[in-house]
Formats: sequence, structure tokens, C-alpha cells
Amino acid sequence: PSPSNAGRAPSPPDGGWGWVVVFGAFISIGFAYAFPKGIAIFFKEIQDFFGTSYSEIAWVSSIMLATTYGAGPISSILVNRYGSRPVVIFGGLLCGVGMVSAAFCTSILQLYICVGFITGFGLSLNLQPSVIMIGKYFLKRRPIANGLAMAGSPVMLCTLAPLNQFLFDNFGWRGSFLILGAILLHCCVAGALFRPIGAAKAPVKTQAIEEGKETLKEEVTKDAMEMSNPRNIPMETKMEEEGEKDCCEKINQYLDFSLFKHRGFLIYLIGNVLMFLGFFAPIVFLAPYAKHIGIDEYSAALLLSILAIVDMIARPATGIIANSKWVRPRIQYFFSFSIAFNGACHLLCPLASGYTGLVVYSIFFGLAFGMVCAMLFETLMDLVGAARFTSAVGLVTIAECCTILLGPPIGGTLIDTFGDYKYMFIKCGAVMVLAGTFLFIMNYYNYRMLAKEEKERKAKEEDPKSVRTDNEDRNNWNKEATQGGPELEPLREEQEGLKKEVNGT
Amino acid sequence: MPAACSGQRLLLLLCLGLSAGSPADPAATTKGALQSQASSLTKVQAGLHESSPEPITTAQAVSWQTQGSPSDHLTLGHTISAPGPELATQEFKEATKDNITFTKYEALLPGVSGTSVEKYITLDSAARIELSCRLDNKNSHLQSLQVIWKKGNETIGHINKTENSWSIKLRILDSSNLGSYSCSLKSKEEIGAAFHLQVPKIEGREKPIVSYGGDTGVMTCESSDYIPIAWSWYMTNGSEQIALNDSLRDKYVINIISANVTQLKILNLTEEDDGEYWCEAAFELGESRASVRLKVLSFMVPLKPFLAIVSEAVILVTIIFLYEIYSKKKEKHAEDEKEFDQVEQLKSEDSNGLENSSARHRRI
Repeated sequence: PSPSNAGRAPSPPDGGWGWVVVFGAFISIGFAYAFPKGIAIFFKEIQDFFGTSYSEIAWVSSIMLATTYGAGPISSILVNRYGSRPVVIFGGLLCGVGMVSAAFCTSILQLYICVGFITGFGLSLNLQPSVIMIGKYFLKRRPIANGLAMAGSPVMLCTLAPLNQFLFDNFGWRGSFLILGAILLHCCVAGALFRPIGAAKAPVKTQAIEEGKETLKEEVTKDAMEMSNPRNIPMETKMEEEGEKDCCEKINQYLDFSLFKHRGFLIYLIGNVLMFLGFFAPIVFLAPYAKHIGIDEYSAALLLSILAIVDMIARPATGIIANSKWVRPRIQYFFSFSIAFNGACHLLCPLASGYTGLVVYSIFFGLAFGMVCAMLFETLMDLVGAARFTSAVGLVTIAECCTILLGPPIGGTLIDTFGDYKYMFIKCGAVMVLAGTFLFIMNYYNYRMLAKEEKERKAKEEDPKSVRTDNEDRNNWNKEATQGGPELEPLREEQEGLKKEVNGT
Repeated sequence: MPAACSGQRLLLLLCLGLSAGSPADPAATTKGALQSQASSLTKVQAGLHESSPEPITTAQAVSWQTQGSPSDHLTLGHTISAPGPELATQEFKEATKDNITFTKYEALLPGVSGTSVEKYITLDSAARIELSCRLDNKNSHLQSLQVIWKKGNETIGHINKTENSWSIKLRILDSSNLGSYSCSLKSKEEIGAAFHLQVPKIEGREKPIVSYGGDTGVMTCESSDYIPIAWSWYMTNGSEQIALNDSLRDKYVINIISANVTQLKILNLTEEDDGEYWCEAAFELGESRASVRLKVLSFMVPLKPFLAIVSEAVILVTIIFLYEIYSKKKEKHAEDEKEFDQVEQLKSEDSNGLENSSARHRRI
């Protein structure tokens, strides 16, 4: 047994229970993304019931989406503190409570609170931990796992839409909200599947065996507790031992603000914030655009279904492609390419005339949308590494929250002022092509800097060729990580991960 | 935006005047419905686009033509949307020399072989109309045709004949004037057309509205293109229809959302309120009805699936946790056995070195 394994953070199993975790994440992520869109079926009825205008009702969906993204940092802090599993279970309970109380609402304001804030917050406590869990369980096959888990969104949407219609026809909107609350409790089931990752027990034990039986039992239990402790931050305990604890690091324990010095993180943040300005608007306006150019309602709805089905297939497929040995090292380029491809689709859309043109557009749009979504979190994990991903995802989602909310209304005002849908498509396409090119160029620069830093680091390592024990190795690695220095860990992690694969461990 | 678009079309049509039926877009405003112009326009446009991609396709389509002397000019009347296979017909008012305006509807004959041409015309207020049957160019050679206009079984005299068309002029003043008017042209075969004059249809809901005991039930009815003079609601009690009016204020509340939309709110629902409700729109020429069904359920109905799903989720979570505890125990048990075996092995092999190695490997 190789003691060197214990030197790194628990190595991701890349399989086994990991696939069960992917299934749980599939459900969680599916609910988080599909639910706000799915309840739009009830809006007409609720609008009549409360006597409000359509835009007031549409705020329910917007508040829900905003809370799901905006509460990201809170989610990250809670995961950093308590681990993924309790957070997801609590999130599921919160969603259930939110929807059940929504069934008894007597005013639109109460709906905003129950459906918008409470359920939205519950969904955000589902979304982030699911993505984080995948990062903990997978390394070599992480893009596939991400692709599969993100495929939950279109699948859930396709299931929720007819289900909601069925519930609505049979139970009215109040009964439907009650039953949807029960259905959302399955997020708790998904959360129960998120077994805290407690790997690397074996190497520890092999050392303990040589000590003798009594100490053996002690060490085993102590290390087992430490390892299976939901905190996947072994560096944290090391920090305490070393006694370096000023207030910045204390805050960084909960939410790693030092990420803002991380080059890759900043690149990702700026690129994604820009991209989301034009990401969701075309979906929102696809059906109205189809009706505008003279297509009937059912065919317009069919366009969205085509989009969802292509999306469903594209996400795992992208995961598999991104995992291949040609793409994985250059996954950032692939991501920027898919964003630019998405933008190009939108730019070409106004040229599509008639129904077949729109069908072709929907197919390509579904493909591009799936590609981007599948790699959305994978690229972030690739840049900052699994350890800091917890905080990174929270910070990124709250930044994206603003542009996500702004995107469709800006598109809507463009449509209203110019009276033509093509300007909205041109705006979305231009924004995304710009984001794609920005990411491409900046990541090229980033890869070069990383390669340079790696060379420098290797040069330094060659000289003092001391025998490293597990803990020294871990210490150095942790020091580098906590000081927010070189962004080498992810590359190094993956290189060593790949090396391990070669060595057959 | 649609208003601006239609405004352009209005101007275009005004300038051109209309010559031989160019299929065109329904546009323009109604005399009495200026305020609902934009919405009705988009609806009609949408309605037109929904059912026929090109506005007028077959010979069955209605064409409109001007008649009369060049001094006549066109003003545009209102669009009429009609249900059924043929969509919007457009009416045009001509100013004749006598200053009486007639709206003309024309059917091109023959239609698809074997069937007679059907036209549905919706009228919401008193009007003078002219119905005309015209032979299309293919058949214009036919001679010695016998033309009869009928309403129901009564024959109508006063047929105006022009070169290839036969028309009658009607004054529609009340509901008795509505109905089906047909023309038939006989020579060797008989071809004909029928014009169905109706009041506008209003929309209720096909699927029942589901509500709960103690809650408020809300039902809406809408008249898409025409503004009724009055709305009223009826409840079906057995075979009777009871009018609901404001005398029962604490139970039934009728709201007027807008001129086209009416809403009935029933407070404090009970099982007896379950049933069919009728909304009736009164137009100048008659009334039009639509039904809305209300279903009143008790809260037990969704509660059962709710409890079933909740218990299923709880059971799943329990199973998952139990399985995890069980598999951890098994793992620990198996490893304990392994360690025990290995310790025994080491002990037997190297009992002396054990103390030294334990001192060396004390730290972890």
C-alpha cells in the first residue's frame, strides 16, 4: 500500500458510490433549474384568482430564480461548515415547507414569500452542494459526472411540465402546490445519498497495524472520524495546528474571498457574468417569436420540446467529449468555443424563415445550450480545484444572479422598442460571442502563465531533494493552497491523478 | 407595434382603393370598438395566421370588390373573424350615391366540387349587408342559370344581377334577421353557397375550474373581438337556470374587469356550488352564451396523494440511512478481521521488533 496516497486530500473514488451521488445530484439540480420554469403553468389561473397583471405573477418565477442564485454564498458557507448532506436535506425540507404554505396563501405577496423566497432558498441549498459533491467524488471522470448531473435539468423540465398540467387539471392550483411540496421532499432523498466522502482509511490503517492493537483501534477511530468529518478541508486542521489564524483567514474558512486574487477565477467570473446576459432570453422568447412569425401555439411548444430533448442528449455527450484525453487539458477552450457557438446560433436565427428554419435553430440551440450548461461548473472546478470550489461556486452564482435577471427584461424592452425580435437575437448573439472570445483569449493567457509557473516550481523542487513524508507533503501543499499562491493545485492534482491512473492505483 | 403596422395597412388600403380582390390583411378599426383596437387586431391577425398561413388561398375565399361609380370611395369597416375553415372576411363600406352604406360579402362559386361554400359572418350590431354569389372565371361562360336566394325555406326576391354575380341586400335589425341565407345556381348541375349570420361567440372554459370548500371560486368569460352591451351570469339548478345578480352580494360578486371580460366570484364555496355556470353576453342583435364548470373539492382530496408521497420520501430516506449504517458496520467488521489476522501474523513473526517499530511509528 502506498503511503503517498495519504499525503493528498482524500482521493476521489471516481466511481462506485460516486454514480449514486451523480443520480442524487441529477435530481437536485433538475429540481433547482426546472422548477421555476415548471410552475409557469399555474400563472394564468393564479392571475385570475388574485386579479393581478401578468407581470406581477411573473415576478414569482424571477424571485425564485434570483434567490436560487443569490443565496449561493450562504449555501457555500453552510457547506463549508456542515458539509453537503445536512445542507441538502435541510434545503429539501425548506422547499417542501415553502410550497405547502404556498397552498394556503391568500395574497400575491404571500406567494412571493412562500414560493419565491422560501422555496427559492431551499433550491439554492440543493443546487450548490450537489455540484460540490460531484467535485469531491470524481476527478478523472468529473466531466462525465458533471454532464450527467446537469442533464437533470431538461429531464426534470420535460417531466414536470405534463405533471404540472395533470395536477392542475385535477386539483386546481392550491392542491397542486400541496402535492408539489411533497414531490420536492425527494430532494431530501437525494441529499441522503450524498454520503460524506471519507476515503483514504486504508493507508492510515496500514501504518497503525504496525503499532499494535490498542493504539491501532484508537488511531483508526480518530482518523476515521477526522476523515469522514464532512469538512473536506484537512488544511483547516493543519491551519489550527500551525496557529496561523488572523481574521482574514477566519472569514476565508467560511467563504474563501481570497479567490478574488485567483487569476482563473476572475477570468471565469467576468466571462460568465457577461455570457448570462444573453443566455436565457432566447429561450424565454422563442415561443412568442414563433407565434409572431405565424406559427400556431402547438408547433411553437413543440420547438421548446425539441430544444429540451436535444439538450438532454447533448449534456452527457459533452461530458464524455470533455473527458477525452484531447479535450480535458484544454477544456477551457472547449467551453469558450461552445459559448461562441451558442452566440453564433442566435446571430443566425433572424435568417431562419418559416417553421423548418426555426426547427433547425432549435436543434442547434439545444445542442449549444446543453454544451455550455454541462461544462458550466466543470470549468470552474478545473480552474480553482475541488477544495476551493465550495466558496467559488457561491461567489460566482451571486454575481451571475444580476445578469440572469437582467437578460430577459432587456430582451423584452428591445423587442418592444424596435417591434422586431431580431434585435434581441442579435444582442444575445453578440454578447455571447464576445464572452466566448474573451474567455478564449484570457484562458490562452492563463494556460501559458500556469505552464510557466509549473516550470518554475519544478525547477525549485529539483534542488532540495529531501525525503518527504506524507505530512510534510500535505503541509506544503496546504500552505500553497491557503496562501492563495500559484494555481497549480488543480493542474497538479489532475496530472497526478492521471499519473495514478497510469500506475494502476 | 401591431397598431402601427395595421395603421400602415389602413393607409395603404385607403389610397389604393380596392380593385379585383387582392387577398389582404385584416386591418382597421371598428366603429364601436376603438378602444379594443390593438388587442382585437393582434388577435385577429394571430387568429388569421394560426389557421391559414396565407390569408386567402382557395377559390372558396371571400373576395371583396368595390362596386359602383368611381366617385365612390372606401372607408374601412371592421374586421370580422369567423370560426370555421374560412377565416377573416373583410367588410367594406361603400358610400353609394344614395348615402346608404352596405357591407358586402361575396362567395366565389363553385367551391370544392360536391360541397357548397359556407361562410360564417359575425355581426354584433345592426347593419345593412349585401350577400353576393359570383361565378369564377372558369365558369363564367355558363348560360341560362336559374338563381334562387333563400332564407331557410323562404325565397327572397329582389335579386340584383350584375355580370357574373347575383346578390341580395338585407337589413339586419334584430335576431330574427339572423340565420342562414343560401344561394343556388342551377343549370346542368347545382352549385351554391350559404351565408350564416351569427352573433359573436364568447369564450368560457372547457376544463372545469377546481376549487376547494371555504375558498373563493373565480370564473371569467371573455368576448374576444366585440364589446357586449351587458353581461349576465346564470347558475344551473337542476334543469332551471337561475340568474345571479347583486342581490346576493355576500355570496356572488360580479366584477367587470374590462369591457370584454367579466368575472364571477363565488365566496365561501360549498359542495352545492359545484356545477355549471353560464355567462351571457347581450349584443344588439341577440345573446351569446358560454359555460364554465366549477368543481368544488374538499381538502382531503389532495391530502391523500400528499401524505402518500411524503411517507414514500421518508421511507426512502430511512432505507438509505439504514443501508449506509449497515454497510459501514460490515466494512468495519471485515477490516477488523483483516487487521486482527495481520496483527497475529506480525506478532508471531517479529515479536521482538514490535516494540521498536511501535516507537518509531508512534506519530501519524
